[in-house]
Amino acid sequence: MRGLLLASLLAVGCRPAADRQPVSGPLSVSDATGRTVSLAAPAQRIVSLLPSFTELLFAIGAGDHLVGRTAWCDYPPAARAVPSVGDGMPPNVEAVAAPRPDLVVLYHSGPNVTAAEQLARLKIPAVLVDLNRLEDLGPAVRMLGRLTGHEASAESLAAAMDSLASRPEAPAFTSIVFVVWDNPPIIIGRGSYLHQLAALAGARNVFDDVAVPSAQVSLETIAARNPEWVAVLSESAAAPAFAARREWRAVRAVREGRFLNLPGSLFGRPGPRSGQAVRELRARLEAAP
Amino acid sequence: MRWVALGVAAGLALVASVVLGPAAVPLGELTRSDIVWSLRVPRAVLAFLVGGSLGVAGASLQALVRNPLADPFLLGLSGGAGLGAVVALAIHLSGPWALPLAAFAGALGALALVYRMGLVGGAALDPRILLLAGVAVGAFAAAITTAIVSLADAAELRNAFLWLWGGLSAASWDTVLVLVLYAPLPLAVLFAAARPLDLLALGEEPARYLGADVERVKRRVYLAASLLTAAAVAVSGVIGFVGLVVPHIARLAWGHRHRALLPAAFIGGGALLAIADTLARTVVAPRELPVGVVTALIGVPVFALLLRRWTIA
Amino acid sequence: MSSAPPILSLRDVRYRYPGATQDALAGVSLAAGPGEFHAVLGPNGSGKTTLVRLVLGALVPAAGRADIAGRSAHLWPRQDLARVVGVVPQREDNLFPQRVRETVLLGRYPHLSLWGRERPEDHSAVERALAACDAVQLADRWVWTLSGGEYQRVRVARALAQEPRLLVLDEPGVSLDLRHEMALFELVRGLVDRAGLGVLMITHQLNLAARYADTVLLLADGRPAAAGAPGDVLTRETVERVFSWPVTMQLLDGRPQMVPLRQPKEPLA
Repeated sequence: MRGLLLASLLAVGCRPAADRQPVSGPLSVSDATGRTVSLAAPAQRIVSLLPSFTELLFAIGAGDHLVGRTAWCDYPPAARAVPSVGDGMPPNVEAVAAPRPDLVVLYHSGPNVTAAEQLARLKIPAVLVDLNRLEDLGPAVRMLGRLTGHEASAESLAAAMDSLASRPEAPAFTSIVFVVWDNPPIIIGRGSYLHQLAALAGARNVFDDVAVPSAQVSLETIAARNPEWVAVLSESAAAPAFAARREWRAVRAVREGRFLNLPGSLFGRPGPRSGQAVRELRARLEAAP
Repeated sequence: MRWVALGVAAGLALVASVVLGPAAVPLGELTRSDIVWSLRVPRAVLAFLVGGSLGVAGASLQALVRNPLADPFLLGLSGGAGLGAVVALAIHLSGPWALPLAAFAGALGALALVYRMGLVGGAALDPRILLLAGVAVGAFAAAITTAIVSLADAAELRNAFLWLWGGLSAASWDTVLVLVLYAPLPLAVLFAAARPLDLLALGEEPARYLGADVERVKRRVYLAASLLTAAAVAVSGVIGFVGLVVPHIARLAWGHRHRALLPAAFIGGGALLAIADTLARTVVAPRELPVGVVTALIGVPVFALLLRRWTIA
Repeated sequence: MSSAPPILSLRDVRYRYPGATQDALAGVSLAAGPGEFHAVLGPNGSGKTTLVRLVLGALVPAAGRADIAGRSAHLWPRQDLARVVGVVPQREDNLFPQRVRETVLLGRYPHLSLWGRERPEDHSAVERALAACDAVQLADRWVWTLSGGEYQRVRVARALAQEPRLLVLDEPGVSLDLRHEMALFELVRGLVDRAGLGVLMITHQLNLAARYADTVLLLADGRPAAAGAPGDVLTRETVERVFSWPVTMQLLDGRPQMVPLRQPKEPLA
């Protein structure tokens, strides 16, 4: 057992990464921007600035090292006991630095790059992580595992994530459109994680010809492509407000009330529960006519 | 002759709006298609009404403030509308008409504020102050809007700005009906002011001595043009350049007499926006461009050409 | 002097601008009828512009009356007043390019109904106005291509297109050269003599007013310094008192002509 563990640890450490720089130092990773972040010892005081990272840290057993999270981080329930450092959009650097963390994990976005630089000036190590699609989960978990010293549990979780990401699409038995905003209509394209969920659950995204994660389209295109389901990210079970608007009733699924309200906590972001999200989506699609 | 040409252009624009679109509807099925009747036709009609309203409002305001660069959105209305919409979202106002009504209310608030600031000596509107007040009120509203957006739920409110950039996505027969009931009165007021606007071009004093009730004309034109613009913003966000450029193009063929210019600006503005919307819907199909982008892409080169003509002349 | 009732009648008008410490105009009387040319003269700030505004109903007199055709000027509906009084104001800032015929046509506004088109009688009124001002050959020119003198004639034509009974001109000769200013005064005099128009003209030109006008009102500090025939009003003592400069008076065609005397400054010791 131990040998296997050691072997896998060595395997992780010796695996050549095509796009990573050679790491050096005790605990070093190369983050999404190519910067090298080094820690002398596994992180003990972590601030997570994305709900997905919070979930991942808890999932690999590093949850009790969290000293800060965003106001949106609501899963697992234990996360709510961790103090909030604001909504994180953009991060309030002072609030983040207040609990004296030795690692800050940020989602890779423009404003966050600036925040990471400011944290670096305060000598606080900050990693920027890409987390846009299912295939980003594995590398993200491994990086967190490395930085927190929980490489073993990270590896098993990462393996599960990788297998989910590389699973072939299920044969489509229904069609779907994800509506992010109604005026103007913004839908999800195949560049998005939500598209991946739908594909794995057996629902064809009627906008799979749109390469980007989200895009504005004409209402008549949605009506013409006639999806079976209209999915919205929503905590409530009520039909979305735009269902009452006359022009949206040109879409058959809206007329017939065929809405899928997907709670943002589970469906809105890639995370350790992504497999569960796929299963639930499929169950809902199969349950209704 | 030019009226015939304008009418033909408008007709073609409307036909194109109905026939063309990202959803492939065969010609034979046009009259039976639900997409065409529920979405495309009301959208074409709405584009025409909004574009026409902006064209007339722009021409009237350019005469009122005696500035050929005046645009209906210079008077702070877009800032007010944006603020109204953002407040509605921030307090989670619900209902399908919440956003347009809130935007309209915001625009009205800006209108009242600018009007009050433009009154000098209690009763007389000073058009130069109207312009300055409009810019100031617009900037003020934009600042408050930004503050609200930065303090509240960022994602939803960012999407609200997409709406403000202008689009006819919310077009339906309901929206068309509202505009059809609302627009004729301010339009009639502006058409009736055509001759006094000609006189106003000479200056307020000469216009008064030629028999125009200058104060009444200024008040009515400002209110009617602003009310038209407020309605346009409420249903379709801020669509720039139509109100600025269409009057100038119309003047090339119809001159400065407002009796001809205003109707020409209406039809021309309507045709332009219908064409722009058709392009917005089709050039990157299945995706859609914000129509304000298309009007700017068309409007800016046209405007540059017009400027060249003036500086050469 | 004609015996027809005056179109314009100012009786003892007084006016003070809000916030001012003294009256802009006080105790001024003036009557102008058809076929009469009245000139109003005076130094800057003597109340000439205030008088024009009172005549045209833009201001309401604090005391006295300012009547047009027997009714208070400020009570006249704007459009009706414009059919009786035609004004050539000092300044005009034509924003948009126009042809002469179009700009003169604007003078028909008081006669047009709200939605009605221009009728043949409107166009012939324009032709008559252009002819009276000797501007027919300018009719198709763009306004911006006109010289100062030509443009002034066109503005008079526009006022004539209103078919008024009284013509009011506010310093029409300013910035006109000799030839054009003389031509303008000849034009106005001709209209008075041939068309029976009443004319009220504010002007700086003492000498031209003396030669062309029937009566002269000389204002000083808002008060009438003298009123009547030019020969009676423009005496050396009066002119020197009102304008604070030594002059000498000469006669030309029986009308007084003023020649200012030199008053070189002593070099400071």
